[in-house]
Amino acid sequence: MLEVRDLWAGYGDMAVVRGVNLQVRKGEATAVLGPNGAGKTTLFRAVVGLVRPVRGSVRFEGQSLEGRRAHEVVRQGIAYVAAERELFPQLTVLENLELGAYARPDGFRERLQAVFDLFPRLAERRWQRAGTLSGGEQQMLAIARALMGQPRLLLLDEPSTGLAPRLVAELYRRLDVLRQQGVTILLAEQQVGAALALCARAYVLKDGRVVFEGFSGELRGSSHLHAAYLGGV
Amino acid sequence: MGVVLDGLVLGLQLALLSVGIVFVYGLGGVLNLAHGQVAVLGGLATALMLQARQHPVLSGVVGVLAAGLAALLLDRSLLQAAYRRRGEERLLLALILTLGASFALDGLFTLRFPNVALSLRLTNPSVEVLGVTVRTASLAVGALSLATFGLLLAFLKGTRLGKAVRCIIQNEAGALLCGVDVEQARTVTLFASGALAGVAALGQGFFSYLGPDMGPEFTILSLIVAVVGGVRSLAGTFLASLLLGVVNAALSYWVGTYLTWIALLAVAVATLLVRPEGLLAYWP
Repeated sequence: MLEVRDLWAGYGDMAVVRGVNLQVRKGEATAVLGPNGAGKTTLFRAVVGLVRPVRGSVRFEGQSLEGRRAHEVVRQGIAYVAAERELFPQLTVLENLELGAYARPDGFRERLQAVFDLFPRLAERRWQRAGTLSGGEQQMLAIARALMGQPRLLLLDEPSTGLAPRLVAELYRRLDVLRQQGVTILLAEQQVGAALALCARAYVLKDGRVVFEGFSGELRGSSHLHAAYLGGV
Repeated sequence: MGVVLDGLVLGLQLALLSVGIVFVYGLGGVLNLAHGQVAVLGGLATALMLQARQHPVLSGVVGVLAAGLAALLLDRSLLQAAYRRRGEERLLLALILTLGASFALDGLFTLRFPNVALSLRLTNPSVEVLGVTVRTASLAVGALSLATFGLLLAFLKGTRLGKAVRCIIQNEAGALLCGVDVEQARTVTLFASGALAGVAALGQGFFSYLGPDMGPEFTILSLIVAVVGGVRSLAGTFLASLLLGVVNAALSYWVGTYLTWIALLAVAVATLLVRPEGLLAYWP
Protein backbone atom coordinates (compact mmCIF):
# COMPACT_ATOMS: atom_id res chain seq x y z
CA MET A 1 0.00 0.00 0.00
CA LEU A 2 2.82 2.40 0.93
CA GLU A 3 6.24 1.98 -0.56
CA VAL A 4 9.17 4.14 0.46
CA ARG A 5 12.34 3.73 -1.59
CA ASP A 6 15.79 5.11 -0.83
CA LEU A 7 14.29 8.15 0.88
CA TRP A 8 16.59 10.98 1.94
CA ALA A 9 15.11 13.92 3.81
CA GLY A 10 16.12 16.51 6.37
CA TYR A 11 16.27 20.16 7.24
CA GLY A 12 18.62 22.53 5.46
CA ASP A 13 21.87 20.74 4.71
CA MET A 14 21.36 18.10 7.39
CA ALA A 15 20.01 14.73 6.24
CA VAL A 16 18.01 13.12 9.03
CA VAL A 17 16.55 10.27 7.00
CA ARG A 18 19.27 8.55 4.94
CA GLY A 19 18.19 6.08 2.34
CA VAL A 20 15.21 4.46 4.05
CA ASN A 21 13.34 1.61 2.36
CA LEU A 22 10.01 0.68 3.89
CA GLN A 23 6.80 -1.09 2.96
CA VAL A 24 3.39 -1.05 4.55
CA ARG A 25 0.91 -3.75 3.51
CA LYS A 26 -2.79 -3.14 3.29
CA GLY A 27 -4.72 -3.97 6.45
CA GLU A 28 -1.56 -4.43 8.51
CA ALA A 29 -0.12 -2.46 11.37
CA THR A 30 3.57 -1.70 10.97
CA ALA A 31 5.87 -0.19 13.58
CA VAL A 32 8.87 2.10 13.14
CA LEU A 33 10.96 1.90 16.28
CA GLY A 34 14.08 3.66 17.37
CA PRO A 35 15.45 6.11 19.89
CA ASN A 36 14.93 9.86 19.88
CA GLY A 37 16.58 11.46 16.88
CA ALA A 38 16.57 8.26 14.82
CA GLY A 39 14.57 10.02 12.08
CA LYS A 40 11.09 8.57 12.68
CA THR A 41 9.26 11.91 12.71
CA THR A 42 11.16 13.25 9.69
CA LEU A 43 10.38 10.03 7.81
CA PHE A 44 6.66 10.50 8.51
CA ARG A 45 6.76 14.19 7.68
CA ALA A 46 8.44 13.42 4.37
CA VAL A 47 5.78 10.82 3.54
CA VAL A 48 2.93 13.29 4.12
CA GLY A 49 4.62 16.20 2.36
CA LEU A 50 5.44 18.40 5.35
CA VAL A 51 9.13 17.94 4.56
CA ARG A 52 10.33 17.80 0.97
CA PRO A 53 12.48 14.71 0.34
CA VAL A 54 15.92 15.31 -1.15
CA ARG A 55 16.01 11.97 -2.94
CA GLY A 56 14.02 8.78 -3.28
CA SER A 57 10.37 8.03 -3.83
CA VAL A 58 7.16 7.52 -1.91
CA ARG A 59 4.32 5.61 -3.59
CA PHE A 60 0.85 5.17 -2.15
CA GLU A 61 -1.48 2.62 -3.72
CA GLY A 62 0.79 2.59 -6.75
CA GLN A 63 0.79 6.37 -7.26
CA SER A 64 3.82 8.57 -6.71
CA LEU A 65 3.43 11.26 -4.05
CA GLU A 66 6.34 13.27 -5.42
CA GLY A 67 5.81 17.03 -5.20
CA ARG A 68 2.43 16.66 -3.47
CA ARG A 69 1.74 19.17 -0.75
CA ALA A 70 0.52 18.03 2.67
CA HIS A 71 -3.14 18.83 2.11
CA GLU A 72 -3.11 16.91 -1.18
CA VAL A 73 -1.58 13.84 0.48
CA VAL A 74 -4.31 13.99 3.15
CA ARG A 75 -6.96 14.14 0.44
CA GLN A 76 -5.39 11.13 -1.22
CA GLY A 77 -6.18 9.03 1.87
CA ILE A 78 -3.21 9.28 4.25
CA ALA A 79 -3.83 10.80 7.68
CA TYR A 80 -1.00 11.85 9.96
CA VAL A 81 -1.38 12.24 13.71
CA ALA A 82 1.65 14.27 14.77
CA ALA A 83 3.34 13.80 18.12
CA GLU A 84 2.36 17.40 18.92
CA ARG A 85 -1.26 16.48 18.09
CA GLU A 86 -1.76 19.80 16.24
CA LEU A 87 -5.30 20.34 17.51
CA PHE A 88 -7.21 23.64 17.40
CA PRO A 89 -7.18 24.43 21.12
CA GLN A 90 -9.78 27.20 21.02
CA LEU A 91 -12.32 25.18 19.05
CA THR A 92 -14.63 22.61 20.61
CA VAL A 93 -14.16 18.87 20.25
CA LEU A 94 -16.97 18.80 17.72
CA GLU A 95 -15.52 21.66 15.67
CA ASN A 96 -12.14 19.90 15.62
CA LEU A 97 -13.87 16.78 14.30
CA GLU A 98 -15.73 18.83 11.69
CA LEU A 99 -12.43 20.19 10.43
CA GLY A 100 -11.11 16.64 10.31
CA ALA A 101 -13.81 15.97 7.73
CA TYR A 102 -12.85 19.10 5.77
CA ALA A 103 -11.60 17.21 2.75
CA ARG A 104 -14.46 14.66 2.86
CA PRO A 105 -17.66 16.32 4.03
CA ASP A 106 -19.98 13.57 2.74
CA GLY A 107 -21.17 10.97 5.26
CA PHE A 108 -20.16 13.20 8.15
CA ARG A 109 -22.81 11.98 10.62
CA GLU A 110 -22.06 8.30 10.17
CA ARG A 111 -18.36 8.86 10.64
CA LEU A 112 -18.93 11.06 13.66
CA GLN A 113 -21.01 8.29 15.22
CA ALA A 114 -18.33 5.71 14.44
CA VAL A 115 -15.66 7.91 16.02
CA PHE A 116 -17.82 8.48 19.11
CA ASP A 117 -18.40 4.71 19.37
CA LEU A 118 -14.66 4.18 19.37
CA PHE A 119 -13.97 7.04 21.83
CA PRO A 120 -17.14 7.50 23.96
CA ARG A 121 -15.27 10.02 26.11
CA LEU A 122 -15.17 12.45 23.17
CA ALA A 123 -18.95 12.23 22.77
CA GLU A 124 -19.34 13.33 26.39
CA ARG A 125 -16.98 16.24 25.85
CA ARG A 126 -18.11 17.31 22.40
CA TRP A 127 -18.89 20.90 23.50
CA GLN A 128 -15.67 21.34 25.44
CA ARG A 129 -12.74 23.27 24.01
CA ALA A 130 -9.95 21.01 22.84
CA GLY A 131 -7.35 22.94 24.83
CA THR A 132 -9.07 22.06 28.10
CA LEU A 133 -8.98 18.27 27.55
CA SER A 134 -6.55 16.02 29.43
CA GLY A 135 -3.49 14.68 27.59
CA GLY A 136 -5.11 11.31 26.95
CA GLU A 137 -8.31 12.87 25.67
CA GLN A 138 -6.34 15.19 23.38
CA GLN A 139 -4.53 12.20 21.90
CA MET A 140 -7.84 10.47 21.30
CA LEU A 141 -9.23 13.62 19.70
CA ALA A 142 -6.20 13.86 17.43
CA ILE A 143 -6.73 10.27 16.27
CA ALA A 144 -10.48 10.79 15.96
CA ARG A 145 -9.96 13.95 13.90
CA ALA A 146 -7.65 12.03 11.57
CA LEU A 147 -10.27 9.27 11.21
CA MET A 148 -12.91 11.83 10.22
CA GLY A 149 -11.06 12.22 6.92
CA GLN A 150 -11.70 8.51 6.25
CA PRO A 151 -8.05 7.63 5.68
CA ARG A 152 -6.97 4.31 4.23
CA LEU A 153 -3.57 4.69 5.88
CA LEU A 154 -3.14 6.15 9.36
CA LEU A 155 0.30 7.44 10.40
CA LEU A 156 0.70 7.78 14.16
CA ASP A 157 3.76 9.53 15.56
CA GLU A 158 4.49 8.61 19.16
CA PRO A 159 0.85 8.31 20.25
CA SER A 160 1.84 7.28 23.79
CA THR A 161 3.91 10.41 24.51
CA GLY A 162 2.97 11.98 27.81
CA LEU A 163 0.35 9.36 28.69
CA ALA A 164 0.20 7.31 31.89
CA PRO A 165 0.74 3.54 31.39
CA ARG A 166 -2.94 2.79 31.99
CA LEU A 167 -3.92 5.23 29.24
CA VAL A 168 -1.32 3.83 26.87
CA ALA A 169 -2.85 0.37 27.28
CA GLU A 170 -6.32 1.78 26.64
CA LEU A 171 -5.13 3.70 23.58
CA TYR A 172 -3.57 0.59 22.09
CA ARG A 173 -6.77 -1.39 22.65
CA ARG A 174 -8.58 1.21 20.52
CA LEU A 175 -5.87 1.07 17.85
CA ASP A 176 -6.30 -2.69 17.75
CA VAL A 177 -10.02 -2.22 17.15
CA LEU A 178 -9.19 0.15 14.29
CA ARG A 179 -6.79 -2.36 12.78
CA GLN A 180 -9.46 -5.06 12.95
CA GLN A 181 -11.83 -2.66 11.18
CA GLY A 182 -9.39 -2.64 8.29
CA VAL A 183 -7.49 0.65 8.78
CA THR A 184 -3.85 0.25 7.79
CA ILE A 185 -1.56 1.71 10.44
CA LEU A 186 2.03 2.92 10.39
CA LEU A 187 3.20 3.72 13.87
CA ALA A 188 6.34 5.37 15.26
CA GLU A 189 6.95 4.56 18.90
CA GLN A 190 9.45 4.56 21.70
CA GLN A 191 7.21 2.30 23.80
CA VAL A 192 8.47 -0.87 22.18
CA GLY A 193 6.30 -3.40 24.03
CA ALA A 194 2.94 -1.85 23.18
CA ALA A 195 3.92 -1.23 19.56
CA LEU A 196 5.16 -4.78 18.95
CA ALA A 197 1.99 -6.24 20.46
CA LEU A 198 -0.11 -4.31 17.94
CA CYS A 199 2.06 -4.53 14.84
CA ALA A 200 2.80 -7.59 12.76
CA ARG A 201 5.94 -6.14 11.26
CA ALA A 202 8.49 -3.65 12.45
CA TYR A 203 11.41 -1.54 11.29
CA VAL A 204 14.14 -0.30 13.58
CA LEU A 205 15.67 3.05 12.65
CA LYS A 206 18.98 4.34 13.84
CA ASP A 207 20.73 7.52 12.68
CA GLY A 208 18.28 7.78 9.79
CA ARG A 209 18.90 4.24 8.48
CA VAL A 210 16.94 1.01 8.78
CA VAL A 211 18.99 -1.40 10.90
CA PHE A 212 16.32 -4.11 11.15
CA GLU A 213 13.19 -5.08 9.33
CA GLY A 214 11.06 -8.14 9.93
CA PHE A 215 8.29 -9.66 11.96
CA SER A 216 7.65 -8.35 15.43
CA GLY A 217 8.22 -11.81 16.90
CA GLU A 218 11.75 -11.95 15.47
CA LEU A 219 12.55 -8.53 16.82
CA ARG A 220 11.52 -9.31 20.37
CA GLY A 221 14.25 -11.89 20.75
CA SER A 222 16.93 -10.16 18.69
CA SER A 223 19.70 -7.85 19.73
CA HIS A 224 18.91 -5.20 17.10
CA LEU A 225 16.53 -3.24 19.26
CA HIS A 226 18.84 -3.25 22.20
CA ALA A 227 21.69 -2.14 19.99
CA ALA A 228 19.69 0.66 18.37
CA TYR A 229 18.70 2.13 21.67
CA LEU A 230 21.91 1.56 23.58
CA GLY A 231 24.55 1.96 20.86
CA GLY A 232 26.65 -0.44 18.81
CA VAL A 233 25.08 -2.60 16.09
CA MET B 1 -25.38 60.97 22.54
CA GLY B 2 -24.26 62.19 19.13
CA VAL B 3 -20.65 61.90 20.25
CA VAL B 4 -21.14 58.30 21.39
CA LEU B 5 -22.76 57.40 18.07
CA ASP B 6 -19.95 59.10 16.15
CA GLY B 7 -17.49 57.22 18.32
CA LEU B 8 -19.15 53.87 17.66
CA VAL B 9 -19.18 54.49 13.94
CA LEU B 10 -15.55 55.56 14.05
CA GLY B 11 -14.94 52.35 15.99
CA LEU B 12 -16.50 50.29 13.22
CA GLN B 13 -14.19 52.06 10.78
CA LEU B 14 -11.20 51.23 12.93
CA ALA B 15 -12.36 47.62 13.07
CA LEU B 16 -12.48 47.38 9.27
CA LEU B 17 -8.98 48.75 9.13
CA SER B 18 -7.53 46.60 11.91
CA VAL B 19 -9.01 43.25 10.91
CA GLY B 20 -6.54 43.22 8.02
CA ILE B 21 -3.59 43.61 10.38
CA VAL B 22 -4.95 40.72 12.47
CA PHE B 23 -5.46 38.50 9.42
CA VAL B 24 -1.97 39.10 8.06
CA TYR B 25 -0.42 38.53 11.49
CA GLY B 26 -2.50 35.44 12.12
CA LEU B 27 -1.71 33.84 8.78
CA GLY B 28 1.89 34.85 8.35
CA GLY B 29 3.23 36.06 11.67
CA VAL B 30 4.12 39.47 10.24
CA LEU B 31 2.92 43.00 10.97
CA ASN B 32 2.18 44.97 7.82
CA LEU B 33 3.26 48.60 8.32
CA ALA B 34 1.98 49.52 4.85
CA HIS B 35 -1.58 48.57 5.70
CA GLY B 36 -2.73 52.20 5.94
CA GLN B 37 -1.27 52.91 2.52
CA VAL B 38 -3.29 50.01 1.11
CA ALA B 39 -6.43 51.73 2.42
CA VAL B 40 -5.35 55.07 0.94
CA LEU B 41 -4.68 53.39 -2.41
CA GLY B 42 -8.29 52.16 -2.42
CA GLY B 43 -9.60 55.61 -1.53
CA LEU B 44 -7.50 57.35 -4.18
CA ALA B 45 -8.61 54.84 -6.83
CA THR B 46 -12.22 55.69 -5.98
CA ALA B 47 -11.47 59.42 -6.09
CA LEU B 48 -9.81 59.11 -9.49
CA MET B 49 -12.78 57.14 -10.82
CA LEU B 50 -15.15 59.83 -9.56
CA GLN B 51 -13.02 62.53 -11.20
CA ALA B 52 -13.42 60.61 -14.44
CA ARG B 53 -17.19 60.90 -13.89
CA GLN B 54 -17.80 57.22 -13.25
CA HIS B 55 -20.81 56.00 -11.29
CA PRO B 56 -20.22 56.41 -7.51
CA VAL B 57 -21.06 52.78 -6.70
CA LEU B 58 -18.78 51.46 -9.45
CA SER B 59 -16.05 53.84 -8.25
CA GLY B 60 -16.38 52.51 -4.71
CA VAL B 61 -16.26 48.89 -5.85
CA VAL B 62 -13.17 49.53 -7.97
CA GLY B 63 -11.48 51.23 -5.00
CA VAL B 64 -12.21 48.30 -2.70
CA LEU B 65 -11.00 45.77 -5.29
CA ALA B 66 -7.84 47.83 -5.91
CA ALA B 67 -7.04 47.80 -2.19
CA GLY B 68 -7.61 44.04 -2.04
CA LEU B 69 -5.29 43.45 -4.99
CA ALA B 70 -2.65 45.78 -3.53
CA ALA B 71 -2.63 43.81 -0.27
CA LEU B 72 -2.31 40.54 -2.17
CA LEU B 73 0.46 41.90 -4.37
CA LEU B 74 2.41 43.18 -1.35
CA ASP B 75 2.20 39.71 0.17
CA ARG B 76 3.19 37.87 -2.98
CA SER B 77 6.15 40.10 -3.79
CA LEU B 78 7.82 41.86 -0.90
CA LEU B 79 6.79 39.63 1.98
CA GLN B 80 7.93 36.39 0.32
CA ALA B 81 11.47 37.15 1.46
CA ALA B 82 10.22 37.37 5.05
CA TYR B 83 8.17 34.16 4.85
CA ARG B 84 11.33 32.20 4.06
CA ARG B 85 12.56 33.01 7.57
CA ARG B 86 11.13 32.03 10.92
CA GLY B 87 10.21 33.63 14.24
CA GLU B 88 11.74 36.92 15.24
CA GLU B 89 13.81 37.17 12.07
CA ARG B 90 10.66 36.97 9.96
CA LEU B 91 8.83 39.57 12.04
CA LEU B 92 11.72 42.04 11.95
CA LEU B 93 12.45 41.64 8.23
CA ALA B 94 8.76 42.10 7.44
CA LEU B 95 8.62 45.24 9.61
CA ILE B 96 11.52 46.79 7.69
CA LEU B 97 10.21 45.69 4.28
CA THR B 98 6.68 46.97 4.87
CA LEU B 99 8.02 50.19 6.40
CA GLY B 100 9.98 50.70 3.19
CA ALA B 101 6.89 49.96 1.14
CA SER B 102 4.89 52.45 3.19
CA PHE B 103 7.45 55.21 2.53
CA ALA B 104 7.53 54.39 -1.16
CA LEU B 105 3.74 54.39 -1.46
CA ASP B 106 3.42 57.59 0.57
CA GLY B 107 5.92 59.27 -1.71
CA LEU B 108 4.15 58.00 -4.80
CA PHE B 109 0.73 59.18 -3.59
CA THR B 110 1.81 62.64 -2.46
CA LEU B 111 3.97 63.30 -5.54
CA ARG B 112 1.69 61.87 -8.19
CA PHE B 113 -1.69 62.76 -6.69
CA PRO B 114 -1.06 65.75 -4.41
CA ASN B 115 -4.49 67.23 -5.01
CA VAL B 116 -6.56 64.09 -5.21
CA ALA B 117 -8.80 63.57 -2.20
CA LEU B 118 -11.82 61.41 -1.61
CA SER B 119 -14.78 63.35 -0.28
CA LEU B 120 -18.21 61.79 -0.50
CA ARG B 121 -20.81 64.39 0.36
CA LEU B 122 -24.34 63.21 1.06
CA THR B 123 -27.24 65.48 0.05
CA ASN B 124 -28.66 65.82 3.55
CA PRO B 125 -25.95 66.56 6.11
CA SER B 126 -28.09 65.44 9.07
CA VAL B 127 -31.32 63.70 9.92
CA GLU B 128 -33.33 63.38 13.11
CA VAL B 129 -33.58 59.89 14.63
CA LEU B 130 -35.78 59.50 17.75
CA GLY B 131 -35.45 63.18 18.50
CA VAL B 132 -31.66 63.22 18.18
CA THR B 133 -29.91 64.96 15.32
CA VAL B 134 -27.52 62.54 13.68
CA ARG B 135 -25.07 63.10 10.85
CA THR B 136 -26.19 61.27 7.74
CA ALA B 137 -22.56 60.35 7.13
CA SER B 138 -22.46 58.50 10.47
CA LEU B 139 -25.53 56.49 9.54
CA ALA B 140 -24.19 55.70 6.08
CA VAL B 141 -20.79 54.66 7.36
CA GLY B 142 -22.35 52.67 10.21
CA ALA B 143 -24.59 50.80 7.79
CA LEU B 144 -21.73 50.20 5.33
CA SER B 145 -19.44 48.90 8.09
CA LEU B 146 -22.08 46.67 9.67
CA ALA B 147 -23.02 45.20 6.30
CA THR B 148 -19.34 44.52 5.57
CA PHE B 149 -18.90 42.85 8.94
CA GLY B 150 -22.04 40.81 8.36
CA LEU B 151 -20.50 39.50 5.16
CA LEU B 152 -17.19 38.81 6.89
CA LEU B 153 -18.86 36.90 9.73
CA ALA B 154 -21.02 34.92 7.31
CA PHE B 155 -17.83 34.00 5.45
CA LEU B 156 -15.85 33.03 8.56
CA LYS B 157 -18.61 31.12 10.34
CA GLY B 158 -20.74 29.85 7.51
CA THR B 159 -18.41 28.75 4.73
CA ARG B 160 -15.91 25.92 4.57
CA LEU B 161 -13.16 28.26 3.44
CA GLY B 162 -14.00 30.68 6.27
CA LYS B 163 -13.70 27.92 8.84
CA ALA B 164 -10.40 26.95 7.25
CA VAL B 165 -9.13 30.51 7.69
CA ARG B 166 -10.06 30.47 11.37
CA CYS B 167 -8.25 27.21 11.96
CA ILE B 168 -5.13 28.30 10.05
CA ILE B 169 -4.85 31.30 12.37
CA GLN B 170 -4.92 28.91 15.34
CA ASN B 171 -2.68 26.19 13.97
CA GLU B 172 -1.39 26.10 10.41
CA ALA B 173 0.10 22.59 10.61
CA GLY B 174 -3.17 21.29 12.05
CA ALA B 175 -5.05 22.86 9.14
CA LEU B 176 -2.75 21.22 6.58
CA LEU B 177 -3.27 17.85 8.26
CA CYS B 178 -7.03 18.30 7.91
CA GLY B 179 -6.57 18.70 4.16
CA VAL B 180 -6.98 22.49 4.09
CA ASP B 181 -5.36 24.20 1.09
CA VAL B 182 -3.51 26.82 3.11
CA GLU B 183 -2.28 28.74 0.06
CA GLN B 184 -5.80 29.19 -1.30
CA ALA B 185 -7.10 30.33 2.08
CA ARG B 186 -4.20 32.77 2.40
CA THR B 187 -4.91 34.31 -1.00
CA VAL B 188 -8.57 34.89 -0.20
CA THR B 189 -7.81 36.25 3.27
CA LEU B 190 -5.09 38.63 2.14
CA PHE B 191 -7.35 40.00 -0.55
CA ALA B 192 -10.07 40.43 2.08
CA SER B 193 -7.68 42.25 4.42
CA GLY B 194 -6.97 44.85 1.76
CA ALA B 195 -10.57 45.10 0.59
CA LEU B 196 -11.76 45.75 4.17
CA ALA B 197 -9.19 48.54 4.46
CA GLY B 198 -10.58 49.89 1.19
CA VAL B 199 -14.08 49.99 2.70
CA ALA B 200 -12.64 51.85 5.70
CA ALA B 201 -11.16 54.40 3.27
CA LEU B 202 -14.59 54.94 1.70
CA GLY B 203 -15.99 55.50 5.21
CA GLN B 204 -13.34 58.13 5.82
CA GLY B 205 -14.45 59.80 2.60
CA PHE B 206 -18.02 59.97 3.89
CA PHE B 207 -16.97 61.29 7.30
CA SER B 208 -14.71 64.08 6.14
CA TYR B 209 -12.13 63.46 3.44
CA LEU B 210 -9.30 61.09 2.63
CA GLY B 211 -6.06 62.58 1.41
CA PRO B 212 -2.98 60.97 -0.16
CA ASP B 213 -0.91 61.50 2.99
CA MET B 214 -3.15 59.66 5.47
CA GLY B 215 -1.53 56.22 5.23
CA PRO B 216 0.72 56.45 8.33
CA GLU B 217 -2.18 57.62 10.48
CA PHE B 218 -4.29 54.64 9.38
CA THR B 219 -1.46 52.20 10.00
CA ILE B 220 -0.79 53.50 13.50
CA LEU B 221 -4.46 53.49 14.42
CA SER B 222 -4.91 49.92 13.27
CA LEU B 223 -1.76 48.81 15.10
CA ILE B 224 -3.01 50.36 18.33
CA VAL B 225 -6.35 48.61 17.93
CA ALA B 226 -4.68 45.28 17.18
CA VAL B 227 -2.48 45.58 20.26
CA VAL B 228 -5.40 46.46 22.53
CA GLY B 229 -7.65 43.77 21.07
CA GLY B 230 -5.05 41.01 20.77
CA VAL B 231 -3.21 40.49 17.49
CA ARG B 232 -4.74 37.07 16.93
CA SER B 233 -8.26 37.91 18.02
CA LEU B 234 -11.03 39.11 15.71
CA ALA B 235 -13.57 39.49 18.51
CA GLY B 236 -11.00 41.38 20.59
CA THR B 237 -10.18 43.65 17.66
CA PHE B 238 -13.84 44.45 17.21
CA LEU B 239 -14.32 45.26 20.91
CA ALA B 240 -11.14 47.33 21.06
CA SER B 241 -12.15 49.26 17.94
CA LEU B 242 -15.49 50.31 19.43
CA LEU B 243 -13.85 51.25 22.72
CA LEU B 244 -11.09 53.29 21.10
CA GLY B 245 -13.55 54.84 18.65
CA VAL B 246 -15.65 56.22 21.49
CA VAL B 247 -12.56 57.38 23.42
CA ASN B 248 -11.27 59.08 20.28
CA ALA B 249 -14.55 60.83 19.47
CA ALA B 250 -15.16 61.94 23.06
CA LEU B 251 -11.66 63.36 23.49
CA SER B 252 -11.74 65.10 20.12
CA TYR B 253 -15.05 66.67 21.12
CA TRP B 254 -14.28 67.74 24.66
CA VAL B 255 -10.52 68.09 24.86
CA GLY B 256 -9.11 68.48 21.39
CA THR B 257 -7.49 66.30 18.76
CA TYR B 258 -3.96 66.86 20.05
CA LEU B 259 -4.61 64.76 23.15
CA THR B 260 -6.44 61.89 21.50
CA TRP B 261 -3.30 60.27 20.09
CA ILE B 262 -1.65 60.32 23.48
CA ALA B 263 -4.80 58.90 25.07
CA LEU B 264 -5.02 56.08 22.50
CA LEU B 265 -1.37 55.17 22.98
CA ALA B 266 -1.89 55.27 26.75
CA VAL B 267 -4.74 52.75 26.41
CA ALA B 268 -2.45 50.52 24.32
CA VAL B 269 0.38 50.74 26.86
CA ALA B 270 -2.03 50.05 29.73
CA THR B 271 -3.35 46.99 27.90
CA LEU B 272 0.17 45.68 27.32
CA LEU B 273 0.96 46.12 31.01
CA VAL B 274 -2.25 44.64 32.42
CA ARG B 275 -3.28 42.17 29.73
CA PRO B 276 -0.40 41.65 27.31
CA GLU B 277 -2.36 39.12 25.25
CA GLY B 278 -5.03 41.76 24.45
CA LEU B 279 -8.63 42.18 25.63
CA LEU B 280 -9.77 38.87 24.19
CA ALA B 281 -6.72 36.77 23.53
CA TYR B 282 -8.27 34.39 21.03
CA TRP B 283 -11.35 34.57 18.91
CA PRO B 284 -13.88 31.81 19.18
